[in-house]
Parts: sequence; C-alpha cells; structure tokens
Amino acid sequence: MTEALIVRGLNKRFAKPAVSDLDLTVHAGELYALLGPNGAGKTTTLRMVAGLTQPDSGAVEVFGVDARKDPAGAKALLAWAPDEAMIYDKLTPLEYLEFVAGLWNIEPRAAKTKAEELLAALGLTDEARRRCEGFSRGMKQKVALAGALIHDPKLLILDEPLTGLDAAAARLVKDMLQARADAGGTVILTTHILEVAERMADRIGIIAGGRLMAEGTLDELRAKAGEASGRTLEDVFLQLTSEAVA
Amino acid sequence: MSLPFKPASTPWLLAHELRLTWRGFKAGRKGGVGAWIAFVFAGSMILTGGIFLGLGLWGREIPIVPLAAIIADLILAMILTLMLSTTLAASADALYERNDLDLLFSSPLAPGKVLFVRALGLAVNAGLWFLVPAVLLLTPAIVLGHWAWASVFVVLGAAALGASGVGLLLAMALFALIGPRRTRTVAQVMAALIGAAFFLASQYRNLMGERASESLFARIALDVRDGKIVLPPFADWPLRAALGQPVPLLAVTAIGLGIFLFAARVLGRRFADAAAATQGAETRKAAKGPTRAFAAGAFRATVRKELRLVSRDAALLSQVLLRVLYLLPLAFAMSRSAAHLPVWALAGPAAAVTFLAGQVAGSLIWITVSAEDTPDLLAISPTPMSVLRRAKLTAALIPVAVLLAIPIAILAWFAPLAALWTAIGAGLTAWSSGLIGIWHQKPGKRADFRRRRAGSFLAALAELLIAFLFGGATALAVAGWYVWALLPLIVAGAVMMALRRTDEQIVAALRAASP
Repeated sequence: MTEALIVRGLNKRFAKPAVSDLDLTVHAGELYALLGPNGAGKTTTLRMVAGLTQPDSGAVEVFGVDARKDPAGAKALLAWAPDEAMIYDKLTPLEYLEFVAGLWNIEPRAAKTKAEELLAALGLTDEARRRCEGFSRGMKQKVALAGALIHDPKLLILDEPLTGLDAAAARLVKDMLQARADAGGTVILTTHILEVAERMADRIGIIAGGRLMAEGTLDELRAKAGEASGRTLEDVFLQLTSEAVA
Repeated sequence: MSLPFKPASTPWLLAHELRLTWRGFKAGRKGGVGAWIAFVFAGSMILTGGIFLGLGLWGREIPIVPLAAIIADLILAMILTLMLSTTLAASADALYERNDLDLLFSSPLAPGKVLFVRALGLAVNAGLWFLVPAVLLLTPAIVLGHWAWASVFVVLGAAALGASGVGLLLAMALFALIGPRRTRTVAQVMAALIGAAFFLASQYRNLMGERASESLFARIALDVRDGKIVLPPFADWPLRAALGQPVPLLAVTAIGLGIFLFAARVLGRRFADAAAATQGAETRKAAKGPTRAFAAGAFRATVRKELRLVSRDAALLSQVLLRVLYLLPLAFAMSRSAAHLPVWALAGPAAAVTFLAGQVAGSLIWITVSAEDTPDLLAISPTPMSVLRRAKLTAALIPVAVLLAIPIAILAWFAPLAALWTAIGAGLTAWSSGLIGIWHQKPGKRADFRRRRAGSFLAALAELLIAFLFGGATALAVAGWYVWALLPLIVAGAVMMALRRTDEQIVAALRAASP
C-alpha cells in the first residue's frame, strides 16, 4: 500500500514538549482523523508536516518525498487549510484563487476553469467577484477550502475544517471531503466534533500530550480501549485521553 | 492592572481609553531602550532650547503688535490643521473598530457617554503631541517669571478639544453624505490633505509660478510689518490668550470646549447608529464585465495580487498621496527652473525627488513584505521565497515609477541630462529602500502602517541615510560635479553591503523574532 504520509520520531519543544517522538502513517486514499484534547499537539504536528514549523528532530515523508530535504517537492503535493482562513479581505474569491494557483504554478486557463468549478461547488458563484472583507466566517472558510483544492493536492490537511460553518455549509464540506477520499485523494483532518470522525474517517489517531495514544479504525480503537462494540467514539476517546493524563 | 476610578464612570472609561491608546502606541516598539534614548535626547534638546528661550526673554514682555499676532495665528492654525488631520482619521477609525464598540454599546453605559469619552480620548491623544514639547519648551520661561505663559497649555488643550469636535463632525458628515463604505477611505485621504494643507499653502507661489524663494508666510510677515495688511478684529486674541489675558483666554477655551461638547453630545445617538451601520458595510457590489485571464506563474500572480492590495489600501493611499502632494511644488519648481535657470539650480529639487522616491518605496515595501496577510499560505507553497520577494519588490517599485514618470518626463523636456540623473538616483533609492525592507523585514499588520518605522529602528534609519546619500549624489551629478557624486555613492554602497542579508539570514532573523 502506498503511504501518503510517514512521520517518524517527530519532536518539537516550545516552552515544554509539544510533540514527543511521534510516529504516524497515513495510507494513500484514506480519510484520517487526528483527535486530541486542546493542547495535545495536533496543530503543531500538522504544521510540521506542512513545513510551517521546523521539527527539532524526526522525519516527515509525503508520498515518498522527504519533506525536510526537499520541502518544495513535498509542498507541491499537499495543501493545508487551518481553522483561521488564510485569505485576503481585499481580494475577491476569484482573485484569491488566481494568486493561489500562481503559487502552485497551475496553467492559467485550467486554473480559472477549476476556480469557477470550485466556487460553484461551494455555492460561492454569486460572491466570486465580491471582496472577501464582508464575508461571514463560514464563507471565508469555504474560500480558503477552494484555495486548498485549486491545485488538486494529493494530500489535503485540514485543521478544524468545520469551525464556524453552519449546518448546510458543514454538510457541503463533509460531502466534498468524503467525495475526495472516495476518489482516491488522501485527507487528514483534526476535529473536535467526534461524530464527524466517527462517521467519516477510515482511521482515527488519538493524540495526547504530544504522543500518539492509539490509532486504528473505530472498532480497533474500541478493542484497544477494552470497550464493548456499540460504545461511541466519545467514550473511547475520553477513556484513552484520560489514561494519558493519568 | 485595575484602574483607580469608579467602574463605569467617565474617568474610568477615559483611563481605559488612554491605556489602550498607550498600549497601541507601544505595540511594535520592542527596542525599549533605543526608543527611550531617542525620547530623552529629543526632550533634552527641546528643554535646552526652552532654557535659552527663557533666559533670552528674561524680564521682557512679548509686545502685542500685528506681527506677533500674525505669527501666533499662523502657529495656532498650523497646530489646528495637524490636530484635525489626526482626529479626523481617528474619528473615522473609531466608527469601524467593531469589537470594541460592540462591547461598549452592549453594556449598560449610555451611548452618549461612550462617544463623549472616545472623543475625549481623541482630544487627549491629539493634545499630548503638542503639550509635551510645549511643556518642555516653555517651563523654563514660566519658572523664570513668565507665569502667564502657562496659558499656552490651556490654549493647546482648547485647540485639541476643538479639533476633536470638528474631526467627529466631519466624520459623521462624511458618513451621512457618502455612506459607511466610503467614509473611512475618504476620511483618511482628507486627513492627509488637511495634514499637508499648511505645506501646500506655504508653497502656493511655487504652484502658481511665482518666485520660489519667497514663502507665503514670509510674504505675510513682510506685508504686516510694512502695514499693508490690517488685522481683522479679534485676530490678536489667540496671542492675548496665550499670554494669559483672561477674556481672550476664556473665549478661546469656550470656543474649543463648545465645539467639542456640541459634537460629543449632539452626535451621541447618531454615532451609535453609524457605528452599528458599519457592520457589513465593507461588502461591496460584485464587479461586472468579463473576468480577466489568470496570471501565469507565481511571480506574475504575486505582482498582480500585491498591486491589487496596494490599490485597495486606504491608509497607504493617503500616505502616498501625502508624499505626492509634497512632490508637487518640487515638480513645479523643477519645471520652471529647468526652463529659465542654469542646470545646477535643479540640484536641490532633484535630490528631494530622489529622497521622496525612497520614502514612497519604503512604505510600499513594508506593505508588500512585512504586512503580508497570510505568510503561512506563502510558506506552504512550493514557490521559492526568493521569487516571492522579487515579485513583492517589483510590485512596490511599479507605483513609484508611475508617480515619478510625470515630473521626470517634464524635466526631460527641458534638461534631459538632469532628468537622466534624477531618474537614476530615484530608481537607485527606491530599489535600495526596497532591499532594506526585504532584508530587515519585521512582520506586522496593515493596520499598523502608520507605526511601521517603530518595528525596526535600524531599517528606518538606514532607509533615511541611504535616501540622503543617493539624494546628495543625484544633486551633485545634476550640478555636474560627477567626481564628487561618487563619494556619497561609495558610502551608500558600503552601507548597503553592511545591511545585506542572505535568504538564510532573513529566515533566521524572522524565526528568532517570532514568539
């Protein structure tokens, strides 16, 4: 099986250890949910994978490309969408997508077509030429998501992608992510909404105190937690993370 | 730290306002020791001047004659325009600071009280810029016997109150006339125009094509001395007020206070409504017509994005406009001198154009490089940072080239060689300012544009020095002293070499500066 992401012995320390000796493997074509309590190290881990934070030590490989030796090669394959949308208030969605497409060196005509398709899919066609400054948080998130998808990344990393979205927009985004995974794309997401991970994720990683506490399908996690089948992910999550705290 | 006043009282709210202003002023000024040394040095210089002034005027009284009255009027007018420039921009900003106002208006505080205190904060802020130097300058004279001169502080306070009132009234008038979406932009541009009004007035003879060597103020002073101008009634009241005469002092204070109270009390409710109306006001109509083709590649896409953002940044545009206004009299003087005077007479204006090119480029490079809204987006892209920096430098230099094209083209018509040297000097200065902005970038927010120089004292100083050196070299070259022009060029080259940072050094400096 091709691995989309391999993380080995990843360490990062700020005032105290944020990520400690973390190993993680995400298979190509799967939707992987990374869960953990606040301050567990989820965002720091993903920022290191995206090349935004330098690890103190460890290895990151994206589709076989060593992200520390060839950061540009790894970045060409992935997209990162944090919980705070990385957009420009004074640009329109179309102008924003033009800029992002330029950064990934996408052929202009193909990029324009793709941008219009994405905006249509996200229900933003009418807003495509309006500056983002008056947009709601949810609309900004959708523009940022379109930016993350414009270069058709092999690995899509999303940090709390559903934050600030209303029910309809959240459903739309979930459907897009699911469709992407079904089409063979790889998606890694963090979320506090355990129901989303439970319903969507092929595999789930639970991180606490900068360490991976458990990883697997929901059934595998239940087994690790010694829970009977039928218990929710919330029960399993709380048990595993409370063990970490203890 | 808790505030030493009764919660929700006017003094408590004002103290809160001033605390926020002070913290905003301090934001980005990390080199505390350097800033304090600069403040202490400037303060000492003013105080020393004050001691000489006090000693020089010991035992003498200022005569209330037309010349003294006109000088006092002009100084007060200049202070008022500068205060109004500050308070108008701040009044418009106050309407749009949604988080703060939402909190205040959702509290049990009366909206009128909120506006009153905010307006008072504007007045204190505008007044302090003049009161602090005035205290340093005049205290020695006051201690040495001119007790009545303490009235100057009261006059400055009244001026600050009046300017705040007018600033608020203007902001609200703009709001009513052109709506919430354009008010902030127009207010910022107006503030820049008002700030430059005195300079432009002083240069009107240059603009009108008369003798460049004579300023408006010198002419007025001479005319008054020769008895050609008769002062209108009450024109000497600002001077009399400043010298402590009770009735004029009371009148000046009453006017300032009256304007302030009128604006603050009458507009209370409307201000709250206007502030509420700004919510969502940034939403613009969608553009019409066919969409442009996408730019090809990271370089072009980045240049296009930066130019769009620059053209949509009201604060930046007002600052650039201000510098263009300063450039106008120079351009007129250059074109006339080029037609009638020997070429060396162009040296000064050419140096000034070169200097201004550096200043505008410095502002633009700060916006494009240091004030990048989404640095993470650039960091996760596969585009090398060197390409992005080159694109940002290009985007910063394009507006400078456009601004300078007209004065240099006019100059080229009359004195082609002088135009060539000016173009080379201005280009080198702008390019060097851009490189300094890249090498010594300090991430900041667009909203902090006016405080950008506080981010890196070294870069600001270097930018000034380089602009002076290239300006000097340009002046010498225009005057025909080519060998002498090499000297400042060599020094500028050495300074640039000392300031130069590699990509790795820039990244390391940014990492070290990040929390």
